[in-house]
Amino acid sequence: MILLQLAINGVLLGGVLALSALGFNIVFGVMRVVNLAHGDFVVLAAVFAAFGFAQFGINPLLLLPLTIVAGFAAGALVHYALLRRLPGEVASAEASSLTLTFGLSYFLTGAGLATFGGRFVSVPYLTGAFRIGEVSVPQARLLAFVVAVVLSLGFALLLRSTALGRAIRATSQNLDGALACGVDVDRVRTLAFAIGTPVATAAGTLMSFLYNLNAQQGVLFTVNAFAVVVIGGLGNYTGAVLGALILGLTESFASYFMGATLAEAAPYLLFILVLLFVPGGLRGRRAA
Amino acid sequence: MTGSVPFLKRAVLPLAAVAVVVLILAPLRLNGYAINLLYVTVLSIALAYGWNIISGYAGYFSFGQIAFFGVGSYATALIVVNWHWYWMAAALAGGVLALLLAIPLGYVMLRLRGPFFAMGMFGMAQMVRVLVTAIPATGSGSGLFLPPGSGITEVYYWTLAICVGAIGLTVWIDRSAFGLRLQALREDEQVAATLGVETTRAKITAFGLSALIPGLLGGGYALYLTYIEPDAVFSSRLDLQSIVMAILGGLGTVWGPLIGGLVMTQISEALWARFPQIYLMIFGGLLVVLLIALPRGIVPAFAARFARRSGT
Amino acid sequence: MTEPLLVVEGVSVAFGGVQALGDVSLEVREGEIFALIGPNGAGKTTLFNVISGVLRPDSGDVRFAGRSIVGWAPHRIARAGIARTYQIVRPFGRLSVVDNVAVGALVHARTIGQARNDARDVVAFVGLGAYADRPASSLTLTQRKRLEVARALALRPKLLLLDEVMAGLTPTEMDGMAEFVQHLSERGIAAVAGIEHVMRLVMRISHRIVVLDAGRRIAEGDPAAIQTDPAVIEAYLGAPLAGA
Repeated sequence: MILLQLAINGVLLGGVLALSALGFNIVFGVMRVVNLAHGDFVVLAAVFAAFGFAQFGINPLLLLPLTIVAGFAAGALVHYALLRRLPGEVASAEASSLTLTFGLSYFLTGAGLATFGGRFVSVPYLTGAFRIGEVSVPQARLLAFVVAVVLSLGFALLLRSTALGRAIRATSQNLDGALACGVDVDRVRTLAFAIGTPVATAAGTLMSFLYNLNAQQGVLFTVNAFAVVVIGGLGNYTGAVLGALILGLTESFASYFMGATLAEAAPYLLFILVLLFVPGGLRGRRAA
Repeated sequence: MTGSVPFLKRAVLPLAAVAVVVLILAPLRLNGYAINLLYVTVLSIALAYGWNIISGYAGYFSFGQIAFFGVGSYATALIVVNWHWYWMAAALAGGVLALLLAIPLGYVMLRLRGPFFAMGMFGMAQMVRVLVTAIPATGSGSGLFLPPGSGITEVYYWTLAICVGAIGLTVWIDRSAFGLRLQALREDEQVAATLGVETTRAKITAFGLSALIPGLLGGGYALYLTYIEPDAVFSSRLDLQSIVMAILGGLGTVWGPLIGGLVMTQISEALWARFPQIYLMIFGGLLVVLLIALPRGIVPAFAARFARRSGT
Repeated sequence: MTEPLLVVEGVSVAFGGVQALGDVSLEVREGEIFALIGPNGAGKTTLFNVISGVLRPDSGDVRFAGRSIVGWAPHRIARAGIARTYQIVRPFGRLSVVDNVAVGALVHARTIGQARNDARDVVAFVGLGAYADRPASSLTLTQRKRLEVARALALRPKLLLLDEVMAGLTPTEMDGMAEFVQHLSERGIAAVAGIEHVMRLVMRISHRIVVLDAGRRIAEGDPAAIQTDPAVIEAYLGAPLAGA
């Protein structure tokens, strides 16, 4: 019975991880930029939601639209004002975009610590649980899962059926082809960053139901998103859902069977093993 | 490329000799605060030199070299506490251990490229930190006390010696066939291989050197702290600082880590003292701004200007 | 008779179900100029990748100077005497022209100074002497093509694999390159040139030709035989090669 319980927890967590990774994936797919500040956007939104709930009793779901708009603006600004200005030489572009988002990550961490302090917070919202036989489904986790699924589907729809979505997918599959078809790649990149960031902040708002967080935990979510995307295959949006479920289950089972301390290493271990031994996702991208 | 600046080239050796003498005599005249600051500066610069080999010359960005620093620290602490070795011998052993660990680890991790290597090394460092926390012999998460006795002066000289050694090593690499092979594989690994470069061996050698240096430094840091715990020696702040120094000064250049280190320490000290609350924020923001203003770092920007003026 | 310098025997490579090379065989003798012709996507670059060790074939054998080199690391193959150029030029952008070439010269030189000296000679030999100390990223496309050749020559190879070395050159430059390859051939360096078009030159300087189409060898022979081969004419949509 405990196994079923752990599986349910893992799947519910996986849904939120999938949403977070979706934002990371859009940015990586279109721009080939590993956004090391991704997790900081997630965590800032989470801490912000907890702050709003504790101070003013605002329902975090009501904050979602605000976080999404703020994320969109922040993402557009980061690309337009910063990333776009990096030198375009292929050999150094990768290093400089990594360094830039690395600096941005510390900037956001510092800003979060200065604004909200270093205390670990979460949203004590819907603390009850549904009981089905011996299994309990925490209401907050279920809600986070459902909202994450709805938002993911919404973004998937955006990518699939709008002109912008098609331009984004075209650019991530074949840059030269997209250029040849008259896609304004610079604009698509700004928009990709502007769309990827609110996905991260929305995921963060939901994370506030699940985790105790402070502004320094961002890196955990960057690694999670990276792991999910690597497992599922870069630029492969459906594969990422599978990756998120695997990671969610791993975290859930590891924390039960290995104890809290060692369980912290589990996602890193899974991530490195996948990087080294399952390059399938990678190969899919490289052959393109 | 210092070759384009012959005047500076001639000035380097005498300047370096004077600097080393001043640094050796410094502890005789400095107060406690100043020598601490000097120690931390030399330590960060030495770490930056270590990182510059694998990430600057070979082009493999690592976000996890601090793991070797932590390993060196813990190895030294354990040896001193349990076997009562003289600490410098223990620190040397810590460095060798880091090197020995780096060889198999590099063999596995260096198959990853670009951001995959960077993130993989980050994950690796986190795993090492967690594992150290889980081992009872290290006092688990609660840390480890070292016997008091060795003063800051000893630690400072140890660190200074390693820093000078790291600079010397970098000067050699920059002029050697090994360094040329590293730079070739940084630019294009496959082409380098088809031109006869044994890329795996070159990469692992570079990775090993980039582990040996922090490994040797870690022991001194353990003595300096006299009490170590995982978060103190697997310090993301030290890691970040040394990476920023190398990038700011100029990746893959001989003098980049030194120049970047001196500039960074000044800024860092000023910020830390004046804005402890928003230190991290300013630090991160500064890195972003510097990267956009000087994408290649201080040394290459300066060398380019100098070369243009002297008409070469 | 001793075995030819390079023997490719029944090499096949597939990428996820797409057959890039199907059972390709060929032989190159010492000092021979060997043309590998075929349209874009025929498998020329894939074959070069197999020979230079960048890619491991699914089946088949590659022998160089009598030894099987399948499974050898690229650097070992390079040191054994096979050098290659890349279709899309890939200079080490931030290194100087001399250092680009010195990387290959290190295989024979005892010191880096000697490697740089050797490299200067090769750089001058391909006509880039005036640019020797510039960063490779500052070269024009034509100069980069020459740099590719210079880097390969610095290995002092017995066999040179030239991947689309003519592409992007003006007719005069093509003649210069052809002359250059002939010159190397006289000094005993064999060349396998992968070429899409430029049949006039191919017919003039090649000793032997293999035609690839969709990963399969459809013809082999001397220039005269190839020009009248019905399979070749078919593959090139009936275009009479002699007039091209």
